[in-house]
Amino acid sequence: MLLSDKENSASKFFILTAVFWLVVGMTLGLTGAIEFVAPDASTGYGPLTFSRIRPAHVNTVAFGWLSMANIGIALYIVPTLTKVKLFNEKLANFVCILWNLAILAGIACLVHGYSEGREYAELPVPIDVVVLIGLLSLSYVIYMTVIHRKVKKLYVSLWYILGAFFWMPIVYFIGNRTFVRLDGLNDAIVNWFYGHNILGMWFTTLGVGIAYYMIPKLSGKPLWSHSLSMLGFWTIAFFYAPTGTHHILQAPVPEWLKALAVVFSVALVIPVITVLTNFFMTMKGSWWQLANNLPLRFVLTGALFYLFTCIQGPFQATRSINWYIHFTQWVPGHAHAALLGTFTFFNFGAIYYILPRILGRQFYSVGLAKAHYWFTFIGFNIFYFVFTVIGLIQASGWQQGMEVSQWSIALEPYWFYRAFGGALMWFGNVLFLINVFMTWRGAKPLDPPDEEPAMSVKRTGV
Amino acid sequence: MNKNYILPGFVILVSFSLIIFTTVLLPHFIFHPEPSEYAVEYTELEAKGRDIYRREGCVYCHSQFVRLQDRGFGPLVQAGDYVYDTPNLLGTIRTGPDLSNEGGKHPDAWHKAHFINPRTITPGSIMPPFVHLKEDDMEALIAYVQSLGKKRLKKYDRIYRPDEYVAKLEKRTVDVNSSAAANAGRGIFQQNCATCHGTHGLGNGPNAIALAKKPANFSRPFYKDYDDVTWFWRVSEGVPGTRMPQWRKKLTDEQMWYLVAFLKTLPRVNEVYPHSYETLEPDKWLEQLKASEAELNSEPKAMLIETKGPPPMAGGGH
Ligand code: HEC
Ligand code: HEC
Repeated sequence: MLLSDKENSASKFFILTAVFWLVVGMTLGLTGAIEFVAPDASTGYGPLTFSRIRPAHVNTVAFGWLSMANIGIALYIVPTLTKVKLFNEKLANFVCILWNLAILAGIACLVHGYSEGREYAELPVPIDVVVLIGLLSLSYVIYMTVIHRKVKKLYVSLWYILGAFFWMPIVYFIGNRTFVRLDGLNDAIVNWFYGHNILGMWFTTLGVGIAYYMIPKLSGKPLWSHSLSMLGFWTIAFFYAPTGTHHILQAPVPEWLKALAVVFSVALVIPVITVLTNFFMTMKGSWWQLANNLPLRFVLTGALFYLFTCIQGPFQATRSINWYIHFTQWVPGHAHAALLGTFTFFNFGAIYYILPRILGRQFYSVGLAKAHYWFTFIGFNIFYFVFTVIGLIQASGWQQGMEVSQWSIALEPYWFYRAFGGALMWFGNVLFLINVFMTWRGAKPLDPPDEEPAMSVKRTGV
Repeated sequence: MNKNYILPGFVILVSFSLIIFTTVLLPHFIFHPEPSEYAVEYTELEAKGRDIYRREGCVYCHSQFVRLQDRGFGPLVQAGDYVYDTPNLLGTIRTGPDLSNEGGKHPDAWHKAHFINPRTITPGSIMPPFVHLKEDDMEALIAYVQSLGKKRLKKYDRIYRPDEYVAKLEKRTVDVNSSAAANAGRGIFQQNCATCHGTHGLGNGPNAIALAKKPANFSRPFYKDYDDVTWFWRVSEGVPGTRMPQWRKKLTDEQMWYLVAFLKTLPRVNEVYPHSYETLEPDKWLEQLKASEAELNSEPKAMLIETKGPPPMAGGGH
């Protein structure tokens, strides 16, 4: 019963558990944010300390929520685009169980201080091995599905998904190679090769691939340009991976490596512009759909944040801007804009579309879904804006060479606003969890079935 | 498999291998800085402390590299400083200050009190309390923090108590903690010192403009650590190489003790809470924090000596 062979069961379990981890991860994040307002809130209990919670938060949202939701959505998209059953549903279900155990163990380890200490690679070795086995098995399942496909031509989403499942296991392996001991700075170089590529070759590629599938599906319009989408794919493939060193641009690592990172980071403007041009031109003439098509609204809000992040990103990587904003909260603001603003919103849209189709029933409540949108959207805007402002205050503090304690008091209200924005988002996502849970349990829908076209199974069909 | 997809697959494979070669393997082959003078080969205790630093996640708030534009964190770091630092703890966020040259900036007891509760040392700090550290872990962590930068910014060396000055304590007739003494000292200060050190001891008296080596600014935080004897010694002996006179040639011991009483009352940037850090106890930190907060709020914070009438003019209008 556990290892079900039912069509889309793996996709379903991945998505359902991902939503659970989302709320867990956000709770951890919110706890951390509150501790900036009330630093003694941990009352001296080790696992509650901000610095223990932070890696747990990052790893839960990155591997628990975002990766699992992305995988779940990919496991739905791949069979629909190739018109065959998933190659090995059982294996995918097995990975889902494995992965959930890994996340649970991961959180427990991290809050108790069993951390490798490298950003994004904190999970201890045994969990790394489990995650890697999961990734490789999923790659195998997805590649085999595509090889047995009934549709000759590969739609662009498949390119992205296939790319991600090729790159990620390699990147993950390199990032967590604890058995090779490297000297301090070499260790940092490899750490950031990994730290950045998990975003570039995994979250971005899967996220953009998902958006390429969702936007035409949800708006009912064909993709504007296939050749442009391929240009975007190839430029990501060529330009993304060497950029990691821009995280340590001012550390004493070799200059040529930094130069390489800056040049390629700036070149990333190209894929971003091609991807967004394609999205927005596809929407041309149907923007009115945003009014009553909630999943589409989620995806396009994500696209808007993608525009922000990815204009910020390349400029941030240039030496003159990095000089100013490095080390400040501006940077986590940017990271949240990418992972939370963009890819999480893509995933929300996709889940609102996919889940009713997998479960074969309406979403429990359209009202809750709308509240979810507004809480996360407004919460995120506050959150992101405040991060940026804090970053600028800190930047000027560092730049003037004043003691931290001289200007850190000035940040006090902003830590509060940040926690407030976070609390709004957290609340929105608790609503989301309730909504998903009730849908899964088959509760009777609260709203008339045809109110939100994309979320109702009957009108659009599978 | 469709032949059309063999070429793209090949291109992806080759391009990604190339990227891994240039950004992962190549630095590993050709980038091997020699250990610099400041690369720390950690002792067993320090290495343990480093593990605790990593375990407690200090790296999420503290960086360990000084950039060109940073001031106050010591000299720019070199590639060779990091040879023994595995895993790297460079950090990407600075919520607190950079720690690459933290060693020697503060005494051990300061660090201990600060880790038990940062807010008793730096009011308004958002650093979490690390009371949950066991005694030996705390010791190791402090040893590690003190090893950073090999004490190249050692400051508390200046808190020096020459024996002949310690001996003077016995003959002291002035109660340096009384406000009467501080008031007396204030008068002497305005007459003799304000021209250089400024009426509020900020180092900005009118003569300061003309001096190449500027007079000391007594609001700087590290004067928090000066004790009576150190103050007395500094005033008495002057500062060689600067225009700070040897006051023992002009003032009596009694007058200098009055000055010490006054200098002690000058507000420091980040005034320490009234409870001194030596008495902070891990299991009572919360109560102690509350007690000192209450104490602090009940006392006027800034200039403890009240001035009647308009503030004295700079340059001895008193
Ligand atoms: C939430 C972020 C945060 C975390 C986590 C954190 N700190 Fe701090 N730290 C600060 C801030 C802010 C300051 C400046 C205010 C102060 O002195 O408390 C500071 C100051 C310091 C100082 C004093 C620097 C100086 O010379 O004035 C030391 C030493 C220090 N931290 C060490 C540590 C260690 C060791 C850890 C891990 C056990 C740690 N910190 C964890 C935020 C943090
Ligand atoms: C001619 C100007 C001048 C006058 C007058 C003067 N000082 Fe100074 N003082 C200096 C200078 C210059 C320094 C050195 C600052 C340094 O070490 O960088 C100094 C340093 C000091 C220090 C040492 C600070 C330290 O870092 O340990 C003390 C204490 C001090 N002065 C007290 C006094 C007192 C008390 C008086 C009056 C009785 C006084 N000074 C009068 C110029 C002056």
